[in-house]
Amino acid sequence: MSPVRILGIGSPLGDDQAGWLVVDALLAAGVHASGGIAIEKLDRPGANLIPLLGDAAWVILIDAIQSNSPVGCIRHLGADDWPAYGRGLSSHGFGVLDSLSLARELGSLPPRLDLYGIEIGPVSPGEPVRVEIQAAAQQLARRIAGDLNASSEQA
Amino acid sequence: MSEQQRSVAIHVPVLARVEGEGALDLRIENGDIIQLRLRIFEPPRFFEKFLEGRHYTEIPDLVARICGICPVAYQVTAAQALEKLFNVELSPWARAMRRVFYCGEWIQSHSLHIHLLAAPDFFGCNNAIELARIAPEEVRRGLRIQALGNELVDLFGARSVHPVGVRIGGFHGAPSLARIQKMRGKLRAALPEAEALIRWAASIPMPQDDQRFVSVATRHQTDYAIETGAIGASDGLCIEADEFDAHFAEQHVPHSTALFSTYHGQPYLVGPLARLNLNHERLPERINTLLAEAGFVLPSRNLFHSLLARAVEILLALHEALRLLEGYRVPDSPWVAATPRAGVATGCTEAPRGLLWHRYEMDDDGRVVNARIVPPTSQNQGRIEEDLRLSLLNFGLGHADDALRLHCEKVIRNYDPCISCATHFLRMNVERG
Repeated sequence: MSPVRILGIGSPLGDDQAGWLVVDALLAAGVHASGGIAIEKLDRPGANLIPLLGDAAWVILIDAIQSNSPVGCIRHLGADDWPAYGRGLSSHGFGVLDSLSLARELGSLPPRLDLYGIEIGPVSPGEPVRVEIQAAAQQLARRIAGDLNASSEQA
Repeated sequence: MSEQQRSVAIHVPVLARVEGEGALDLRIENGDIIQLRLRIFEPPRFFEKFLEGRHYTEIPDLVARICGICPVAYQVTAAQALEKLFNVELSPWARAMRRVFYCGEWIQSHSLHIHLLAAPDFFGCNNAIELARIAPEEVRRGLRIQALGNELVDLFGARSVHPVGVRIGGFHGAPSLARIQKMRGKLRAALPEAEALIRWAASIPMPQDDQRFVSVATRHQTDYAIETGAIGASDGLCIEADEFDAHFAEQHVPHSTALFSTYHGQPYLVGPLARLNLNHERLPERINTLLAEAGFVLPSRNLFHSLLARAVEILLALHEALRLLEGYRVPDSPWVAATPRAGVATGCTEAPRGLLWHRYEMDDDGRVVNARIVPPTSQNQGRIEEDLRLSLLNFGLGHADDALRLHCEKVIRNYDPCISCATHFLRMNVERG
């Protein structure tokens, strides 16, 4: 078990790389996979995310979101923010919140879960990542690195 | 508007990262189905055109991008076709590992479909999250099996989604003995779980729906056909991949961006139930015993047995992977060299959803002149419409619109159509006149 698992979720499509950029920024800042930390990028993992949640004490998830906030806005999403799901799951559309909702039903959520969203606004596949997204990724990486440091000092 | 004339449209919210949509138009007049159309309006993706001019070495990785659920099927079918044209004889190691690789895809795709897509229908649940409330152990088991399938794909493909391990002539690399031994332990541990899954699937009450249809699947002299075999049909047809066009036809229909396929002018079934119908005598004895205990009689003419068929194929795939990994040795080379030549290459394998057929015309330099890919979902499209018509009449057209829609969704999900959102994708318009 890795006590801390950092997962940057995204795809190669323009601003949807936001989660990956945070992982890149963390690695550049010296947050490396080690005995206590697992850090990786995931490409639209679907339900495959669930097994990655259950074997960590603290999971930090970063993904791009579209919530009509200003582009580059960083949100920390609590469980109350997960939309209610009636009908609407599919094999291809099994997203992060679907996986988290299913993991919650199965009692597979980690003791501590930090879910961050970076607002990307309308998607423009094929376009380079916007500067607002790059800046947000750097900012969020600094925040996560600070949380990790604070946590290790407490320990 | 009167009850008899009311028109109801049910809309599904747009989901992030959903690749497309399908819809069903159903018009009922005077107790009869006047119109029933399964519409696929996902924009054409032009993959076959993208392949033109590409070098043969690029093809396995390019076609893997066609589907995020069954990339192995596309890779292995393309490789099979091109290796045949280039007279490449795979090593026994590569032949066996292609089958193991493919087993991984069957395990993950089937488990995903059973637990996250199809099973909720039969428990009165709207989705897998609701199902997890009443059957948490079964859903957990399903996720474990799915993860194991992904791990098997990752072992040979370097990653489980859009793997990159296949090359013409074999694989780019070979897993170490230590990794294989670890995998064998996991596969062995999963056998009782898969047997329990079959028992559970067989215990789910299913609608009785007896229909006549032609089953089409690849067949092999000794094995349960997966990654190689001739094309067979339940009416006795047995042909090689290059004879496909003499018996099967694709045509455009106005209401779908996917081509409709026919076999001798008629709809036909591909997929797990078609495979079991044709190849059940190739199952290991242990599995046939389990099926006999469960009272599952084959061949079956009830498409609602598709969920159980997938469970059966999961156990088969586990057995096959274990068998083929026994005595594993790292080969001197995981691939043999290929020399391209001009000509027409055809190949066919069994994708999780059914027969997958590829045809490539290649030039002297090993570049694609043109390509045709016939996926299982387009082959099943005509059969789905036929099934819906028969099944709805059997179910009764007097049911409320919601009940009709749910029944239609169940029928369609039996086929696990890969039109980007297979679950609750249905935007159904019911018109009564």
